Amino acid sequence: MHVCRGNWSKQEDVLLTGDYARLLPALQRMRIDQFVLEYATPRAGDIEVVGRTLSDRELGLGVVNPRTDKVEPVEFIVAKAEQALAFYRPEQLFLNTDCGFGCFAGRSVNVEAVAVRKLAAIVAAARVLRRKHG
Amino acid sequence: MTTAHDSFVTTQVGSWPRSKVMLKALRGYQKGALSRGEFNAVAEGEVRRTVALQEQVGLDILVDGEHRRESFYAFITDKVAGAQLMSLAEMLDFVEDKAEFEEMLRTMDMPASAVKNPTCTGRLSRREPLALEDFRFLRTLTDKPVKITLPGPYLLTRSMWVGALTRNIYGSPGEMADDIVRILREELVDLRDAGCDFIQFDEPVLTEVVMSEECDRRTFM
Repeated sequence: MHVCRGNWSKQEDVLLTGDYARLLPALQRMRIDQFVLEYATPRAGDIEVVGRTLSDRELGLGVVNPRTDKVEPVEFIVAKAEQALAFYRPEQLFLNTDCGFGCFAGRSVNVEAVAVRKLAAIVAAARVLRRKHG
Repeated sequence: MTTAHDSFVTTQVGSWPRSKVMLKALRGYQKGALSRGEFNAVAEGEVRRTVALQEQVGLDILVDGEHRRESFYAFITDKVAGAQLMSLAEMLDFVEDKAEFEEMLRTMDMPASAVKNPTCTGRLSRREPLALEDFRFLRTLTDKPVKITLPGPYLLTRSMWVGALTRNIYGSPGEMADDIVRILREELVDLRDAGCDFIQFDEPVLTEVVMSEECDRRTFM
């Protein structure tokens, strides 16, 4: 199951802010294999919040913001994943975007060329992580 | 699910930027100017390109980009009996507090033209599968595992209930939700039986509940 804080605008300040703490009681009760969670934005709070409670499931870790034009450096993605490694094994940890690139047909939040480069950064980071922790 | 790697598996959440050609085809199809076959032919071209790009960058689990969808949840009006795609202009006649709704869209930087709501105007049932055909087409394009996304039951319940229209059909949002859950469960089973590797339910509205404290207002996430 995927949860984020909205993905309709490129203005970060109109989107929601807060960590997952208050959702944990509901998330824990769900019979779900993997939580796909927004984490590239600081608005999502610390990985520790879900790591301490939901590490019996897989985590789809959001490592790139679909709304920005700047592609996240590989080191940024690796560092995010390494924070999650304090709670998750490498085989439990999936790397993904924070949300889609075009949730609303008339309101894509990015262009294809940037989206491709963001995916390539995720793949490059995964290679580094497998070498270090695989 | 067998992926090329057993650690740090890479994927994306689901939707891809729409090209001008795709948007034009979607609007044409919605207006009835384009047949379903013509619309699908355009969408399939877009899905092919999206899959090829993901293969090129080396992603492990692929998506189809949701090119056929008006939005990640409003698209169900194409597939579900009793659900109607409504523009903001059509919605405004029925929302409880028009001024508040307009103000919310403005402060949230959501252009009115981008809001299309899947409104419940009749008893809800699957007229056809929601995403099974999308999965089958995607499956023909790659040997890698694939992910199919579906809107979650809570998001659909929040958005589909428009009191002035829905109260005539269902006694409460909870009663309508029973039908939504049944529809999603049927789809989940169909996708599983067809061999779909990964099915993701989208529930962004959950954060709205705990972070905005305004559970009663309309939602579009």
